[in-house]
Amino acid sequence: MIARSDAPPPLALKILGIVALASFGAATGAAVATLGINRAMAWSDEVALVMAVGLLAMAIASAVVMATRPASAPKSSGLLQIATLLLASAMFLLPIYGQQFATADVVFGAVIVLLVVQTAANVMLWKRADEMLRRIMAETGAMAFIACQTALFIYAAAERLSLVGPVSSWGLIGITMGIYLCASCIAAARRGIH
Amino acid sequence: MNNRLKVLRAERNWSQADLAEQLGVSRQTVNALETGRYDPSLPLAFRIATVFGQPIESIFSE
Repeated sequence: MIARSDAPPPLALKILGIVALASFGAATGAAVATLGINRAMAWSDEVALVMAVGLLAMAIASAVVMATRPASAPKSSGLLQIATLLLASAMFLLPIYGQQFATADVVFGAVIVLLVVQTAANVMLWKRADEMLRRIMAETGAMAFIACQTALFIYAAAERLSLVGPVSSWGLIGITMGIYLCASCIAAARRGIH
Repeated sequence: MNNRLKVLRAERNWSQADLAEQLGVSRQTVNALETGRYDPSLPLAFRIATVFGQPIESIFSE
């Protein structure tokens, strides 16, 4: 058997990744200006927008890594992972901007369709993953659940005591996604995946 | 748990990707095993032992 290299990615690849992400940042800025997004937004929309852009950035980074990977490397579930990230991003963007292009009913229907497709893709990812990746997914779920439950309890108690105002479910889902992404980074880093 | 995966792999001049392919896991999993960031399940430990042709206890130790 011929040994393949386990060397870290070359400098050119890292530079390509930086250029891709910088281009994405510029495109995001241009989109924000074009769509008039710089108007005053509710904080819940701002959180959702940050999540959507973050998910898009992760998808682009994954695509760059996949495209520049040696041809001999196993393809694994890279495309599927990119698809789930893009779908999740679209699901956060549609409720904010969808009504500029369609009625609320149509936008909601589109969100449900995307959710079904993304759920199917996530199930496929789970089935294709090896035991360590499944462990990372399970640990991410556990960490996110505990963090969200704790935060929700603290906020609910404060809200019951009229110390803070109510939070919309749209705001909560943005926060939940943020916590989930942080948990997934921690779980992956613990196994040496960066 | 400690293991001799890296040494055994190097003796055979295999890359992490080569070993991952034989074990049916990702290269990241092999890397995590070698660096002690992940302890394999019993079925995977048996597969590792089979691939290297050695008993489990000669590869893994506490």
